[in-house]
This record gives sequence, structure tokens and C-alpha cells, in this order.
Amino acid sequence: MLRASAACERAGFPTSSLTCEGFFKQGKATSIGLGFPNIGLALVPGHIGTKSAEQLRQDILQTTLGEVIKNLTTFDLAGVSTTEPSAKAIVARGDFFAVNDAFYASGYTDGLPIVPPTTSLMEAFLSFTDHDPDEVLGVMLPDKRAATVWSVAANGVMAGCQPQYMPILIAIVQAMADPSYGVEHSGNTPGADTLIILNGPIIKELGFNDQQGALRDGFMPNTSIGRFFRLYLRNVAGFHLHKTDKATFGNTWRVVLAENDEVLRDIDWPTIGMDMGFERGDNVLTIARYSGGGSLSSVSGSTPEELLPYLADSIERFNNWQITFTTSHGNGTLRPLAIITPILARALAKAGWSKSRVQEWLFEHVRRPAWEFERQLKEWNIRGTWDLTRDVKEGKIPSLFLESEDPNRLVPIVWKPSDLMIAVGGDPLRNNAYVFANNAFLGFPTAKKIHLPNNWHERIKPPSQGAT
Amino acid sequence: MSEPQHNGWFEAHWPRGALQQKKLNLAPRLESLKGKKVAQLWDDLFKGDVVFEILEEGLRQRFPDIEFVSWRVFGNTHGADEKEALKDLPQQLRELGVDAVISGMAC
Repeated sequence: MLRASAACERAGFPTSSLTCEGFFKQGKATSIGLGFPNIGLALVPGHIGTKSAEQLRQDILQTTLGEVIKNLTTFDLAGVSTTEPSAKAIVARGDFFAVNDAFYASGYTDGLPIVPPTTSLMEAFLSFTDHDPDEVLGVMLPDKRAATVWSVAANGVMAGCQPQYMPILIAIVQAMADPSYGVEHSGNTPGADTLIILNGPIIKELGFNDQQGALRDGFMPNTSIGRFFRLYLRNVAGFHLHKTDKATFGNTWRVVLAENDEVLRDIDWPTIGMDMGFERGDNVLTIARYSGGGSLSSVSGSTPEELLPYLADSIERFNNWQITFTTSHGNGTLRPLAIITPILARALAKAGWSKSRVQEWLFEHVRRPAWEFERQLKEWNIRGTWDLTRDVKEGKIPSLFLESEDPNRLVPIVWKPSDLMIAVGGDPLRNNAYVFANNAFLGFPTAKKIHLPNNWHERIKPPSQGAT
Repeated sequence: MSEPQHNGWFEAHWPRGALQQKKLNLAPRLESLKGKKVAQLWDDLFKGDVVFEILEEGLRQRFPDIEFVSWRVFGNTHGADEKEALKDLPQQLRELGVDAVISGMAC
């Protein structure tokens, strides 16, 4: 909404932005990165979703109306001063604890101790890339800061990464800065968190955990690179709780998921990196935001027809309100992710099923009645003026959502089979699975190839074993 | 990174990036809404349709000759097509002779 207002102000039209009470601080903070720190916000008291019609009317007429008139006819002259350090400035000196206290007080940390980004550590990290430290990889909202290679190194040091992770960190920031990912949405209220999925020989070279406990902390590369993502969101994109990060609940960062490339090669299934357009054997990372999900215990059966119904049912259940992204609002950008363990993938492959055949079967079975689909969004959620019929008739969603007028007809939750993403990982000998509910265009799956420096193989040390 | 470093003394660099956005001037404000044409922009969320109806009523009471261009004219300003929708918006506002904009809903 504020981006629309900013576009109007730039074009010479005075605006007033209708803002619920809980979003006022975010609105003020976000407007700085848009170039209009004093853009006019009109207060809607409380939250609109829990008001009676009478209360809403009273609040709009008694509070919001006056603010709209004021926004359109007067300037808010309260300025925002932004004096900041220069890009490579030393901002804290002292022992480990003093530096950590200073960084925490300045809002640079996530609450855990950081490794101080000293000159010698910065140099060590920068030696693992051929990029110039001053190179700008992108500019990120809401703060609209330069995402430099230097800042990648600083946040990598802070997160507890090793210098040799630098090529991965750079690829992560390139993905974050890609407009298709939508980093500017990272502070929305569902509090979705990004998962980094890794493919390629770099998994073994740097000692990632691609086995049991694949989503658990305990291995330095998986954990520290996951932490890096959140620190970078904070320090460079500019997402801070109680200001620009409006996660209602949120989670701690997710550790990197290293797919089990060896099993995928064995069964001749494509990796996630290959699904995203790269070759087997490429070092590729894919990032996407997920607002929920959960594990499936004991997926039992010996044939695809016996194994897949449980998975289909869980994908449908875990992707609940997220179906809003299946409609015109999200333009079909919902991309649920199912992680199945190697033993399940092998069982499906043994029956002669390719990954795409599994996706096609799931597409036919991950469905819900049309009336239930509409109830979720119209009556329970936030889209009171919308329905499936209108979306289809206006050509905004595929006709398969309106194959009949029967409210009991089953409709899919994505537009095509390949939208249901499947990764392989976790305990190789346990028949469990994990389903993620996706946040669609507000963190859309985006992949980047990891470029290694020229002398990579001579320089990397054999990884330590990790938390076994 | 396992060798002793720093002798317990650290000098730590700033971990952020330089701000790239200069402060811009807001559009000129109107002297009054009397006789003006006001566009409604909506992101299709949080009962904006109801809020705009109430606002219209309240504004018409104070400025009887005010005109509105409904949110229905512009379509969703958020969603997956946001960038495309916003690209054409200024021209559309000019063609419609709009004087000011009310945009919702941030909730």
C-alpha cells in the first residue's frame, strides 16, 4: 500500500494511506526507504479484522476521516535525520563483551553473541571471492541500503561462518536482491521464514549435514549460514522487530537444507537446483519463504498409490490460508514444498515413478472442495469481495477452478503439477516427510549458481565432522 | 580462525550498507478538498471496500461537490502484479483528472 502511495507522490499526487494502529510504526519506518519519511498515514484504530460494523463506522468517521483530510491538505514537517557511519567505519572497540554489548545496543545482532567483524576477519572472508568488496549486489527495501560484498563479509563473520562460506553468502544475497524473490515483503505479519536449499559438490566440500536431522542446528555451515540470512535481513534490508518486521509470531532462522544429491543421482531424479534450471553437479542455492508446515511421521506403504495419499493430504492441510496466493491476489505463485526422505524417494523410484509423475499424481489429489476454498478466504480470512467464479471469468486464474458450478467440485491449490516442489533429504532410513506452506510472491523460490574463486580447491580445508 | 587473534581487543566494522534513498519532496498539498477528484486505491484486503464507502460518506458531508474514482477502476495495487500495476498508475491518474489519492489497507 505504501509503495502505491509513494508512486503517486512521486508523480505529484498528494496521498493519504489508511493504516491500522499496529502498522503505524512500520509505516513510518518503511516510508524512509521509499524516500518520503513524512508521507501521510491516516490512523485506523485497532485492527479492522475484529471490529463490528458499527465500531468500524464510528472509528473511520471519528478518527480516520480527519486524518485523511489533514494528509491531503497539509504537510507533516517532522523530519527524520539519518546520520550514519561510513560503509567501512569501525563502530565498536573493546573486548569481546564490550563489542557485543555495543552491537546489541545498536540493533545489529539477533540477541546471540556475534563474532566481531574485525579487519583481519573481513580480509579472510574477502579472500574467498573474486568480487570487489565495494561491489553492490543489489539494493534492498525497506531501508534501501546497498548490499555490498563488504557487508556480506561483515554479516558472515558475525554469524559465525567460516571464510570459505563466502561464495555461498554472496549467492544468497544475489538471490535476496533478485526482484523475483520479493525481499521487501519479508516483514509481513504471517512471519514466514526463509529456507535455503543447497545442491552440488560444495555440500560435501564444506561439511554440510545432508543426512539425519537435516533441518536441525548442530553443523556449522548449515547453522551459521542460516543465521547469516537473518542478520543480513536485519542489517542491510532493514527488517527490525517492532518496526519494519511485523511477524505476528515468527521463528528463529532456518538452517540450510542440504539436499541428498547422491540419492537423487542414484534414482535419476532432478534436484531442486535442476528444477530451478541448473545442471546436475552445479553448486546452486535456492531460497524461498515458508510460513508454516510440519512433519509427517511414518509414511507407510510399498507402492506410490499407498505412499502418496498421506503426503497429498498433508500438503493440502498445511497450505491453509496460503491458498490466497492461488487466486488472482497471488497470481498462482503458491509453491508448497514437500521434503521426503531418501527411503521414500527410493521406494517411489523403484516403482518406476519419476519426480514429475509424482508431482502429477499429487496435483490430481491435493484438492479441496470449492466451497471450502472460498469459505477460507471470504469468510475466515481477508478477501470478502472475492470468489473463484469471478477470478475464472475475468481470466485471472485457470478454468480448471470452474469446471462446473457444483460447490462440492474439487479444486487444486496450485495451477500446475510442477508448482508442488519436492526435495529429498533427512534421515536416509526413516520413512518420514516434511511439508512447508509457502509464502508465494512474498518470498518466491529464487535460485543462484554459486561462483567459486579460482583457487577454490587448493584453499578449502577438509571440513570437521560437526556435532556427531 | 583457530589461531589466537586480537589479544582480546577487537575493532569491529559497521555491518550495514549505505542508504541509497535520498529524501524526496512530497507532492504539493491541496488547499481544500472542495470540488476535487479523489482516487481510491486498494490492495483487496482488510475490508477496504467498506472503509472507502464510509469515507466517501464522511467526505461528501464536508465537501458536497467532491468526486471519487472507485478502487474498482484501478484493480489490486498489491498482489503478485504490483510492479506492473504501479508502473501505469501515474498516467492513469492523470488521464482521469485525479487531484488526490487515498490508499489502503495496511493492517
